[in-house]
Amino acid sequence: MPRDTTVPRPSSERSETKDDELRTLSAGLDRLQSAQGELRPRWRTALSKVLPPIVLLLALLAAWQAYVVIADPRPDIAPGPLQVAGALGEAWETGRLQEAVLTSLERGVIGFLIAIAVGTPLGLLLAEWKPLRRAAGPLISGLTVLPSVAWVPAAIIWFGLSDATVYFVILMGAIPSIVNGLLSGIDQVPPQLRRVGTVLGASRWQLATAVILPAALPGYVAGLKQGWAFSWRSLMAAEIIAVGGSIGFGLGSMLQQSRELADLAGVLGTILLILAIGILIELAIFGPLERRMLQSRGLALGGDR
Amino acid sequence: MISAPVGSAEAGSLSGSKGAVAALTPSFDGVTPPAAQPPAVDPAVRLSHVTKRYGSGPLVLDDVTLDIAPGEFVCLLGASGCGKSTLLNLIAGLEPLTSGEIRTATGSLSPSKGGAAVMFQESALMPWLTARKNVELALRLRGVPRGERREEAQRLLATVNLAEAGDKRPHELSGGMRQRVALARALAQDRPVLLMDEPFAALDAITRDLLHEELERVWRATGRTIVFVTHNVREAARLGQRVILLSSRPGRVAGEWKVATTTGRRIESPEVAALATEITAELRKEIRRNAA
Repeated sequence: MPRDTTVPRPSSERSETKDDELRTLSAGLDRLQSAQGELRPRWRTALSKVLPPIVLLLALLAAWQAYVVIADPRPDIAPGPLQVAGALGEAWETGRLQEAVLTSLERGVIGFLIAIAVGTPLGLLLAEWKPLRRAAGPLISGLTVLPSVAWVPAAIIWFGLSDATVYFVILMGAIPSIVNGLLSGIDQVPPQLRRVGTVLGASRWQLATAVILPAALPGYVAGLKQGWAFSWRSLMAAEIIAVGGSIGFGLGSMLQQSRELADLAGVLGTILLILAIGILIELAIFGPLERRMLQSRGLALGGDR
Repeated sequence: MISAPVGSAEAGSLSGSKGAVAALTPSFDGVTPPAAQPPAVDPAVRLSHVTKRYGSGPLVLDDVTLDIAPGEFVCLLGASGCGKSTLLNLIAGLEPLTSGEIRTATGSLSPSKGGAAVMFQESALMPWLTARKNVELALRLRGVPRGERREEAQRLLATVNLAEAGDKRPHELSGGMRQRVALARALAQDRPVLLMDEPFAALDAITRDLLHEELERVWRATGRTIVFVTHNVREAARLGQRVILLSSRPGRVAGEWKVATTTGRRIESPEVAALATEITAELRKEIRRNAA
């Protein structure tokens, strides 16, 4: 734009060009200051994430097999991977494996959903009602530390050998974690966001639903994740301890049964199965959930690495 | 460009006399006659004898009396601890007064009932919402029907030259862009008065200069009354139609400057520099008083 010094232009036109210039300047500065994300092909990022754990798994299995081949230990004390796989295959053929996995998963998922339904309102109540928080806060934190297996004997006396025992133990494991996660999530909501909500004219309910809850989501999801881990663990423990009665046949029961038969290959196989299910749920549900949430808030370091 | 400043040291007499004189005259100085403001116009914000202390602590604000005309751009300037942010929070209705009275044209201070829009030093955007959704949230809380929000939000983003950034999330925007989204959000509240609490203090100088121009443009385009709190003398001289200097501990009106012509000002303009020099001298006098 050449600068005109002699003839003064009409002021409207001048302000027009001035606005244009301002817009160009703004756009230029925005471009300069915005991060330029480098684009990597999707399959390469996926590969770089999937490959290392698989390589490690194969290496561990190979080392195990090599130990069995070279040291040749007694098979009933140190079975090889092939024997373990064989035991699992046998359990599959008799249908015990499918039954155990389905029973345990069903209980775990239902128990966890009940824990969410109970823990979420409880956490909200504690967060918003300070006297209750002061009174019950230490108890809730204490319950997170208390191993929920400790409830099994009491639950057996109360509910007998029934599903109620198993669910009770799951809830005692998961609810405190969920409540605690939600509480810490709400505690970490920046006060500035609350003030903005107030300034924007939000009612108490709008403030809770439109500002505080979404802002507390990272803590809440962390609590859910821990809650799931606790309910899965409690479930296994309860199934190992409480066998018989109207309690169905779960993975813990299968573990216990293999122990009674002194079938170490079966025991190891079941342990690996429990581990695999835990990993699978983390990879399929909590991992993506957490990653997407953190990325959308710019909290994940360097995007997806 | 600038008019002669008001005899700044006699601030007490200035605010004191105002209560006695015809109540509706804005506190403009006498050198440039306030021809543009007929006395019949109600002030957008009127503070009378506002006093604030926290609990039994020391006085934060002492007898601040101030009229802000509709459409005026007022800068509140002062060193740290002069209670300028407190004053802003009082006008916003975020904190209760100890004594005195604040009245707005809408009559209400409560944020939910149409007080003033506020912009903070941190953009305080909701990090889980895109830029447009952040603006839409303000529209929703204002009660705009769902169908109109998206279009209106887009229009507001275009006002701050961010039409293309609507789908970005706050962490993907630069500090300057975030503050512009916050400005769009504040405009979305559709309140006549916009309070700004050091909104550009955390930005780099280049961005800040540009945002001064953006803000001035938006102010002229929307006709909002702006109360702009800053501790940056140049910023106040660059932006304000009226610059009000607050003394520290307790905060009192210590001086007032009126700028007659505000068009075409730049941060590097000689008249801005001259005004800044003068305000700085007065500010230092105030600070020196605290050393004694």
